[in-house]
Order: sequence, then structure tokens, then C-alpha cells
Amino acid sequence: MGLTFLQGIISIIVIMALAPLFAGMVNKQKAILTGRIGAPVLQPYYELIRLFKKETINAGTSSFISRISPLINLVSMIVAAAMLPVGFWKPIISFNGDIILFAYILGLARFFQILAAMDIGSSFEGMGAAREATFALFAEPIFFFTIGSISFISGYNSLFDIYHSIQLNNVSYEVFIIVCSISVFMLAVTECSRMPVDDPNTHLELTMIHEVMILDNSGIDLFLYQYSSYIKLFIYALLEISFFYPFSQKSNSVGILIFITGSVALTFVLGIVETITSRYRMKNIPQYLLFATAIGILNLLIYTFTK
Amino acid sequence: MENVLSILFCLSLFYVVVTSRVKAYVTVLRFQGIILSVLLVIPFIYNFSIFGIILPATLLLVKVFLIPGYINKVILDLDIKRRIEPPIQQMIFLPLVIATMIIVFLASSILSKITELDVIPFASGFSAIIIGIYLIIFRRKLIIHVCGFLILENGIFLFGTAVASELPMMIELGTLLDIFVVVFLMGIALNRIRGTFAGFEATHLGRLKD
Amino acid sequence: MLEFSIFILIPLASAGLCYLIKNLRVQYAISLFVSTIHLGLSLAVFLGLHHTLLPTFFGVDSLSKFFILILSNVYFWVVLVSYSYLKRPVMPRAEEGKRFYFMLLNFYLAANSAAMLSSHFGMYWVAAEATTLSVAPLIYFYRNEESLEAMWKYLFLVSIGIAFAFIGILLLTLSAKGTSLAGGQLFFWEFIRKAGQLNPIWLKASFVFIFVGLSTKIGIAPMHSGDIDATSNAPSPIAALMSGSLRLTALLGVLRIFQIIRPTSSFEFAKTLLIIGALLSLFVAFVFMFRVNNYKRLLAYSSVEHLGLISLGLGIGGLAFVGALYHAIYNSITKVVLFLMAGNIHSRFKSREVDKIRSVLNVLPKTGWLFILAFMAISGIPPLGIFFSEIKIFEGILFSDKPYLLAVVMFFLLFIFVNMGKIIFTMLYKKGDDDKLQSGVEKFELTHFVAIVLLILLVAIAVAAPDKVNLNIIDIAKDFGVKL
Repeated sequence: MGLTFLQGIISIIVIMALAPLFAGMVNKQKAILTGRIGAPVLQPYYELIRLFKKETINAGTSSFISRISPLINLVSMIVAAAMLPVGFWKPIISFNGDIILFAYILGLARFFQILAAMDIGSSFEGMGAAREATFALFAEPIFFFTIGSISFISGYNSLFDIYHSIQLNNVSYEVFIIVCSISVFMLAVTECSRMPVDDPNTHLELTMIHEVMILDNSGIDLFLYQYSSYIKLFIYALLEISFFYPFSQKSNSVGILIFITGSVALTFVLGIVETITSRYRMKNIPQYLLFATAIGILNLLIYTFTK
Repeated sequence: MENVLSILFCLSLFYVVVTSRVKAYVTVLRFQGIILSVLLVIPFIYNFSIFGIILPATLLLVKVFLIPGYINKVILDLDIKRRIEPPIQQMIFLPLVIATMIIVFLASSILSKITELDVIPFASGFSAIIIGIYLIIFRRKLIIHVCGFLILENGIFLFGTAVASELPMMIELGTLLDIFVVVFLMGIALNRIRGTFAGFEATHLGRLKD
Repeated sequence: MLEFSIFILIPLASAGLCYLIKNLRVQYAISLFVSTIHLGLSLAVFLGLHHTLLPTFFGVDSLSKFFILILSNVYFWVVLVSYSYLKRPVMPRAEEGKRFYFMLLNFYLAANSAAMLSSHFGMYWVAAEATTLSVAPLIYFYRNEESLEAMWKYLFLVSIGIAFAFIGILLLTLSAKGTSLAGGQLFFWEFIRKAGQLNPIWLKASFVFIFVGLSTKIGIAPMHSGDIDATSNAPSPIAALMSGSLRLTALLGVLRIFQIIRPTSSFEFAKTLLIIGALLSLFVAFVFMFRVNNYKRLLAYSSVEHLGLISLGLGIGGLAFVGALYHAIYNSITKVVLFLMAGNIHSRFKSREVDKIRSVLNVLPKTGWLFILAFMAISGIPPLGIFFSEIKIFEGILFSDKPYLLAVVMFFLLFIFVNMGKIIFTMLYKKGDDDKLQSGVEKFELTHFVAIVLLILLVAIAVAAPDKVNLNIIDIAKDFGVKL
């Protein structure tokens, strides 16, 4: 009990510590692929530190929602991170049905972010909030169809158990994993406002989704938002990487190794995808999300009828 | 292994439905051609024979190189607009396709209780047939109609492997030749349509009526 | 091997020759020679003078003997008139179409013979698709917008239809799973012999797919539209060929699966489906005869009507079945005459609109009178063939378990006759206001000769009722288990 708990604590710390590094690596890859030198890998840390030192100024029209929302955001992210396995270590929060909690704790964070954006009363941020809400509507089914279908097949409904039921020596399972990882990847891209859906680097009001919502935040609030968005990216990355653990052999060193190589490989993939794709037009995004949902449904179909 | 390939086939069908670029259809046709020829090669991995490899090789040649290459050439020659004008039903189309697939999978799993059959290739093949017809109905560009027809044919091929019907090689080659000639004639017709009508959309073909 | 080469290889070879030789007259001579020996051989086979030995995937039975004779009869006359037809002046754009005309005709003969003689579903499919491919460029003979559109639609619809038929064939394999037929070849005769073992659900599905798919080619409603467009825009000899033989090729495929389904419990289902298709076709012909404004489309709808009658006879069974087979002969012969005469009218008046054609009897007296005779033949006026076959079909319906269908059919036929007659007599008798065309004498052309010969043949078969034809039809009926 004691050791498992310790391992869980270490997992959360690892996730929280490495999340900005992951984002930094993605940005570096992207810079290199587009022929630039790019910011250093540790740049997200510097930025966080810089933000941390600054003073917070809130808009005059804002209420208490704007003040509690950044903190709720970060806390929810940490709770969500506490449900994911790093290597073969059992996460702290792991019980039957925690996939639902996982989905809705992320939903809670989004809810408060949208609320805070509307609270400020700026029309820009209201627009961003509307977009975020619309796309969340399409993104949620992806999660449930994909993770739900794995849960359905394995017969477990806790993230940790689900991942542990995956057996890579079964050929059908392998394809299933590939298909699942495609839709989880698409989900990650949407939820974390990455390239084909939203461009994190531009500040163009016409197209921004996530960036526009935190336009009026500064100092500690902005720090909290930024940090939680880094953690969110890393959470989805973990969701993706966890598919590829060789769960049949449970050795901690292999787990750590896969964790590291998986993360690095994923930064490559994200970097490449962000380099070769261009942002979709706003009206095409629901279709993109529906495509990912379709893949999830296909998963469910296939495994309902082959069992 | 058949299941794996059929799932990839289904993924390509989804892609066809959401994409708005004409070139993507050609890529999907190539991809499906590769899947089908791999499907045919599988039985020969363990007992290799020169005779058995003729059909997969021809299939690969026709469905991956000749037909998509020809369609590409038609697109280039005729300077067909690269984007499909987004029809109104685009948002309805994908849910429709998903619903169709669910129904097909359900139906074939019910039917598999009567006769023994591989549900996944069977249902994927049948979905491809229906999606091919959807493409012909819902899209206006004639070149997409041709692609829809080819997807339908690919679906039939997959369907054929699912019901494990073994036609003699002569006849399989004959069907391939027929399909190629159909596409060839359609290409020529498209070429003439450019010279005769104003565009390549089905709405231009409305002269014959009572 | 000799018969195989005459039926299939020599037409193929002559198609190749026609591609190489540029001279139209030589092409014509070659094609005529090929069609003559083809006709000779199929006549010999039909009369039982010659016993055939065909390679695998091919075979001769009473049904294919019968159909191949109809094919080579129609084909022979069509080739005979083709040269004079090509000599007529056309738009300069259409000149290039002439180069491939005979090549495609020969290819069509090879493909169609292969389809009719095939004893294997796969072979039948390949050959039937090849007939579509050979006919499609011929539809585009005139190189104008209408014919281009017709070709595109025909090629597309029929290719999809044939693809559906292929699904039907695959489902047939599925129905054989778990029986002694499983894993074997798709030979007709094997399936017919062991039909009882087949799984009824898949067999029904297979029949639906094959029937619906091939009805694009047969021209049975509601899949008839591509066929109508193609027949009405193709040059007249090709239209005659399509109405007279290509539709029957597709019908053969339906007949094969019908023969397989006969001893099983799904037979009633198949019969019902055929009857529904037939009644729909009659209904479509009935409706469109009111509003059709193009005499070639009129004839195409008439084809839909008669193929509908044939499938009605097949669906009813008994005497109607025999009548339907007779109807197939008579219809194919009459359609050739009608389309050739329509071609003569078209090349004189340069229009297919009924409104622009007036007083044909004055301008083109020979064509006009033959057209009237052929019209009478197609509407079932005695002693011209169709009367006898229709009487047999009606009698069959009357003594079947569905006598009430006769009333419906009679109602449709009456109105089809009235409307068709109205249009045709307006064309023939009504005085036009254009005096330029009123120049009396018409030369006696080859087409007139062919029309006369065919009309005489029509009467001769009906009145003399050759034993061989009758016996053969009885044989087919026996193969189908029809009680007479």
C-alpha cells in the first residue's frame, strides 16, 4: 500500500514537472522542421517563471468567477493527471468507473474556463467561449466512443485496468490499438488546440479558440492557465502513449523506457503533423471531429461483432 | 489478418466521405487497391506458387497503378477543379454513412448466425458498396461518380473474399479487364463532355427528358 | 473447337482486322461474312444438324440455342444494312465514328455469343459487361450532346447494374455454403441440379440482386431510364440491335437464376418479383406513351412494354411461359423493322421530334407503309407474329391463379396501342406545311428489302409454326419445369 501510494505521488510529480518540457520539445521540433532554430526546449519554464513574477490585474467588470477559475483549472488537471499510469505504476486515483470522472473533470475545467471568459464581458472572449463550447460538443463523443469501446472490450472500466488488459500479441488487438490511437490523437489535437483545429502560435482574432479566452488574464492567473494547458497536453499524450506499453511483461525499467521513448516519439509526430498540415477552416472543424467519432464508432462496431 | 485489412478499408471509406479534395479520392483508390492485393496474397505466403501470384500482381497493376493513374491524368488533362464544391449535405453525409455502417454491421452479424461468414470483411465490403452509391447520388462532379463506382467495385471485391467465392483466374482477370475498360471509356466520355458541355457536373446532363 | 471459333474467336479476330483495315467496304465484307457463317452455324445448331463441343465455361442447351439464333438473326440483318446506313451523309463530326463501327459490332457479336453460350456465372458476367462496353461507344456514333449524355448514362447505369448482378452471383456462392456445391465452380447446370440444397434466404437475395441489376440492361422499370436514353439516341441499326438482342442477353441471366430458384421454396417469391417488374414496365410504358414527343423514344418505350410482357409471361408460367419465348422471337424481329424504318425517316427529316414529321406516306411511301405494317405487328394485329404470342400469354394468365392480372394488362395495352397509333398516324398522314419535302418517289433501298424479308419471316414463323421452334420451346419449358 505504502509503496503504491508513493509511486502514485511520484507519477503526479513527474507529470507536473515534465509537462512544460513536452510542450517545449514539440515547439522545438516544429521549429527545426520549418527550418528555424526555434526557442530553447526549456522556454515554457522560463515563460512560466516570468508570468509567476508578474502582478495580476483583473478586469473591472469581472466577478469572483474569474478569480477562482484559473485555480479550478489547474486543480482539475492535477486530479485528472492523478488517474493516469506512468510506466506500470498504479495511479493514486483508480477505481471502477474512473473513466467517467476523468472525462468530466476535464469537462469541469473547460466549463469554468468558458464561464470565466464570459464573465469578463469582452465580446472577443465571448466568441472564443462559444467556439470552445461548440467544439467540445463534438469532441466529447470521441472520447467516449474510443475509451468506451476499449472498456467495453476489456470488460474493465478503470483507466489503469483497461490499459493493463491490452495484449499486444493478438493481431486484431494491434490494429484496434492503432485505430484507437488515431482517434485519441485527433481528440488530443482538438482538446489541446493544436494545429489542424487551432493554431497555438497565432493571435488572429478571427480564428483563435483557446487563446482568445485568456486574452484578459495576466500574472498568476495566466500562469495557472498556461501551466494547466501544458499539463492537459501531456495528459492526452499519456493517454496516447499508454496504448503502446507491452503490458504482458511488467517490469518497471521497461515501463520507464517506453514512457520516455513514447513521449519523445509523440513530440516528433506532433511536430510533423503541425508542420505538414494547415489549419482547417472553422466550418470544417466539426466535420473533422465527426470523422474521429466515426473511427470510434467503427471500433465499437468491429469489436461488438467479432466477440 | 483479413479483419485488420477490412478495418483499414473502412477507415479509407470514412476519409473519402470527409475529404473535399479530388486528388484524395485517387489516393484512397490506390490505398484500397493495395489492401485488396495484400488480401489476395495472404493465402500464398506459406505455399508460394508462381501461378497463384499472377492475379494479385495484375490486381495491383490495374487497381493501384493503371486506373488511379488514368484518373489522375484525366483530372490533369481536363483541368477539373481540385476541390469539391461543398454540397449542403456535407454535415449530414458523415452521420448518414455512420448510421449505414451500423445497420450493415448489425444486419450481417444477424445473418452470420444463419450462414457462417466473416462478419467484418462482409460488412466492410457491403458498406463500401453502399457508400459508393451514396457518392454517386450525393456528389455532383462526374469524376467523383467514377471514383464512387470504383469504390463500389472494390467493395464487391472485398465482399467476394468474405464469402470465400473462388472464381477461376481467367474470369477474375476478365472482370478486372472489364472494369478497366469501363473506366477508360468513362475517361474518354469525360473528355468529350468537356468539349461539348460547359462543365463536369451532373446538373449539366439534363437534356434527355420526356 | 470449330464452333467455338465461329461463335467467338472469329468475330474477335475480325474485330481486330476491322481495326487495322481502314477501308469501310472491306470492313463491311468481312463483317458480313462473319455474320453469315455465324447465322449458318447457329441455325445448324438450332436445327440439331450439328452437335457442339465447347470448351470449359461454355455449353449449349435448349435455352442458349434458342437465344443465340435470335441474336445471330438480328445481327445478320443489322450488319447487312449497316453499310448503306453508313453511306448516308452525317454531320462531319460523326465521320470518325464510322471507323470503329464495324470493329465494335464484331466485338459485340463475340461478347454477346460468349454471354449466351456461357455455362458459368462468372463467364456470363464478364461477357455481359463486355457487351455493354462494345455498345456504349456505338451509342455515341453521332457525336452530339444528346448521344454523349445517353452514352454516359447508359454506361454508368448499366455498369452499376451489372455490378449489382455480380453481388447477386456472390450471394449465390454464399447460398451454396455447407452444401455439396460449396467450394465448387459456379456452373449453371450444377446449381440447377442441386438447387434444393441451397440456402433459401441467400438464394432470394441473390435473385433480387441479379434481377434488379440486370433489369437496367433489360429495360424493366424502374431501372429503364438509361436504356431508353441509349436506344433513342443510338443510330437506328444499333437501336435495333439493342432492342432485338442485347436486352435478351440480359434476360438470359435472369432466366438462369430463375431456373435455379424454380425447384426451391423461394420460387413463388421470384415469380412475384418478375410479375411486379413486368407490371411496372407496362405501367411506365402506359404513362409515357401519353407524353412522349420523340418517335425513337416511343419505340424504346415500346421495347420496355414488350420486355415487360415477356417477363410477365415468364413469371406467370404455364402457357404464358411458352408465349413469352415466342414473344421474344417476334419482338426482336419486329423491333428491327421498326427501328430501320425510323432510321429512314430520321435521315430524311433530320429530326426525332414527332411534331416536325408530317405526311411521311407522301414523302417516303415505301418506308411509310412498312412502318405501318411493323406498327401493326408490334401492336398484335393478326397474322403478324406478336398476335399469336400475346394470345398465348393472355391465355396463360387467364388459366393461372391470377386471372385478374389480365384486366390490368389489357387496360395498359389498349392505351399503349391507342397512344402509339395516334402518334404514328399523325406522323404518317397529317399534312405538313413544309412543301420542300413533298417530292414524290422514294428509291427502293436495302433497308426496305430487309424490312420486307423480316415481315415475311414474322408471318411465316407465326403461320407455318415450324416444328423445330415449337419443340425447342417445349424443351426449354421442360427444363424450367413448366406444366403445359
